[in-house]
Amino acid sequence: MEMFTVWWEYGFMRNAFFAILIITPLFALLGTMIVNNKMAFFSDALGHSALTGIAVGVVLGVSDTSLSMVIFAVIFALLLNKISRRSASSTDTIISVFSSCSIAVGLAILSKGGNFGKYSSLLVGDILSITGKEIFYLVLIFAATLCFWLLAFNKLNAISLNKTLAKSRGIRINLIENLFAVFLALIVMLSIKWVGILIINALLILPAASSRNIAENMREYHFFSVVFSMFSGMLGLIISYFTNVATGPMIVILASVIYFCTYFYGKKLD
Amino acid sequence: MKRKYGFVAVMLSAILVVGLGLTALYTKQEKAGEERGLKVVTSFFPMYIIAENIIGDSSQVSLENLSEPQTGCLHDYQLTPADMKLLSEADVFVVNGGGIESFLADVAASYPGLQIVNACEGMELLCEEEEDDHGHAHGDEGNAHAWMSVSRYMQLVDTVAGGLASADEANAKLYLENAASYRQRLLPLEEELKELKESVEGKTVVSFHEAYAYVAEDLGLEVAYTLDLDEERQISAGEVADVLGVIEEGARVVIAEELYGKEMGDTILGETDAQVIYLDTLVRGSYEKDSYLNGMEKNIRLLREAFTQ
Repeated sequence: MEMFTVWWEYGFMRNAFFAILIITPLFALLGTMIVNNKMAFFSDALGHSALTGIAVGVVLGVSDTSLSMVIFAVIFALLLNKISRRSASSTDTIISVFSSCSIAVGLAILSKGGNFGKYSSLLVGDILSITGKEIFYLVLIFAATLCFWLLAFNKLNAISLNKTLAKSRGIRINLIENLFAVFLALIVMLSIKWVGILIINALLILPAASSRNIAENMREYHFFSVVFSMFSGMLGLIISYFTNVATGPMIVILASVIYFCTYFYGKKLD
Repeated sequence: MKRKYGFVAVMLSAILVVGLGLTALYTKQEKAGEERGLKVVTSFFPMYIIAENIIGDSSQVSLENLSEPQTGCLHDYQLTPADMKLLSEADVFVVNGGGIESFLADVAASYPGLQIVNACEGMELLCEEEEDDHGHAHGDEGNAHAWMSVSRYMQLVDTVAGGLASADEANAKLYLENAASYRQRLLPLEEELKELKESVEGKTVVSFHEAYAYVAEDLGLEVAYTLDLDEERQISAGEVADVLGVIEEGARVVIAEELYGKEMGDTILGETDAQVIYLDTLVRGSYEKDSYLNGMEKNIRLLREAFTQ
């Protein structure tokens, strides 16, 4: 029983606990739509843009690089949406071009003078970076996302099923899609410092993908996704505390185990 | 339909049990052999070796090192949750000081009860040779690799012994005695260096790590060029040309670190006929009491060979 109480004494663990409590249901919700719309690559590119956001902040001399990171990610997401809507070539090519471009710029700026080491914790995540201020922002974004989800989920779902049909029903596709991208950008950016660029996408995708393996309707899809996400988040935090492993990767490992279990179970069902 | 929820419940509880079970096993192994008494934590390898020699075999004192042995130099090191845990249980924290532990201010603020022994306290450190334009964060206090000089290392030993003695008065005598006998064992190294100094004093060398400035100080060598190669440093073609230029002007010996300077060293060997020696910066190694003695002895041997050839 001691196992569940000792870590509670440390301020950074309490912060991490609250952050995970708030962020995992959000990841699960947004993840369902990302998986439905086949946007996994999009959210991946968004994660990578964090590097560029920080680089831009460093160049402009902003004291709080989180701010430049969030602003850049929002702009990046909107731009990506706009261009992929207009251009004739396929979306994954465009995302790939944008993503590599932004990584290259970020790496070029941050590695100037050879001190990229300072930022390498961004790649795997550092749980000590969660502060009270960040939790406050997370609560705000949690409330905003829930409102957005309640109001716009049906429209998002309609768009993901068939754009033309959605348009004929008077749904403003561009607005809804842009809003979704902005929310995604905000949530990814607020959690990237402790999850890490390399694996943040897995946290978005895995719970929803596992849930999709076994769910039969939208309600189940959401329910299982949230359950899986919160479960792997909490357990991952506790295990990583005791085994001294980085928290983000531990959570992703658990989420992957869940994915494979549901995958084989789902196959058996068919 | 119902079976699905059952499956999810079974799956999640299985993962929970297996995960927590393995973790419990893992932590149980860790905890074995833990004792109570004064708990001393050191910031990195050289400090650990100093503290190990001072504390000796005392069973009432437990000694642990903060970073893993592989971490090496602490620039840009970030504390992990395990480090925080360790520090929260510690009574004394032995650090090198001089800006190497960039996290020191945070630690002092978070654990006001923790006694911090600063080994470099009161010592005048060498300044960094060149303008630090690549943002390498050593703080403002210059070159803090003082343990690379044997005579300065002895001062570090004294400072740490004094710090530990005042923190733990019951064992103060033991600490000071151990420190004195450790100094005795370091004396031959100092003698060797003095002997070598007579023949090499005034010669110019090129150094690939600022830590070697202290070796140069011990031997009276002149460092013509310092190229600070470490963990994340990428060098530009211009700097390579500068180094080659300095070697052509007469620096016959290049002192480099094996881990980060090997490629550059090979380049030098290919382009010039200068000697390249790889000295240990003594920031990583086995946690044995004599690690420093052995490492330094090997360094001195390499230096002697390079200069006598």
